[in-house]
Amino acid sequence: MSGMEADRAAASLPERVVSIHIAAPVDRVWAEITKVGAVQRALFDTVLECELRPGSRLRYYSADRKRVFVVGEVVEVDPPRRFVHTYRFTTWKTETPTLVAWELAEEAGGCRVTITHSGWTSEHGKLAEDTGAGWRGILRVLKQEMETGRIPWKTRLMYRVMGWFSFMLPRSTRNSDQNRNGSG
Amino acid sequence: MTGTICDDNITLMATFGDRTEDLEPVWKALSNATRRRILDLLSEQPRTTGALAAAFPELSRFAVMQHLRVLEEADLVVPRRSGRERYNYINAVPIERIHDRWIARHVRPWTEALVSLRHALEAEAREEAG
Repeated sequence: MSGMEADRAAASLPERVVSIHIAAPVDRVWAEITKVGAVQRALFDTVLECELRPGSRLRYYSADRKRVFVVGEVVEVDPPRRFVHTYRFTTWKTETPTLVAWELAEEAGGCRVTITHSGWTSEHGKLAEDTGAGWRGILRVLKQEMETGRIPWKTRLMYRVMGWFSFMLPRSTRNSDQNRNGSG
Repeated sequence: MTGTICDDNITLMATFGDRTEDLEPVWKALSNATRRRILDLLSEQPRTTGALAAAFPELSRFAVMQHLRVLEEADLVVPRRSGRERYNYINAVPIERIHDRWIARHVRPWTEALVSLRHALEAEAREEAG
């Protein structure tokens, strides 16, 4: 292991990278992932609320706004290339936020979408791995939605079941609680 | 009942399923033992090209770079520059797409297996009783 690698390991856990090619114009994909105030089907049917400028408070709510899943702050907006925001899932025990960077680039036949999720520390434990699996699913659904206008029936079924069991979600996901604590 | 669900599954997958023609490079990339070993190493942590080359003393650095290029073209490895170093990250999305397209549909749901087992046991019990 080189000295540089050793430093990285001590300072933080490695970032996670997921990437996919989508046969759709980069502007359409950008519009979808930065869509505010309406359901984003690929992102587990959540609703993004933020202003698309650095420093703005950012939230991903459930479609009915009763739950909040992701709290953070917008760091960078460079249409249609980069959307960067801090990220903390409301069920996490740790308060330490992480950083999510969406990168879009034109590519032959469409565009490439790459998500880099960094800022992981030992406090986050296995969360990096679990969240990585989530991003991979999100990219696969986003690809299908952009290319076919539909999302897979299995995903729709999963969302339905998740809805039924939403009453089991921890208190920390309640919208009112987050509004009290998080000024962001 | 279960049969119907499975048939629907296959029909829907065929109609609205992920476009899979671009998975060809993934199969090619995965068909080589050295490249699979590289993916194993990268799933532990991102590594520089130099660190990967050192893990394969029997191969030239050039040969390792060729393997990395094949993995990158298949989208299985995403490179990131950090200073003059190139870090290689694993990207498991294409493997999950292969799973969706070729594996998930052929794996018998465990619920179905349990129902069959119950039917078999009940039939056996009836035979013994009769």
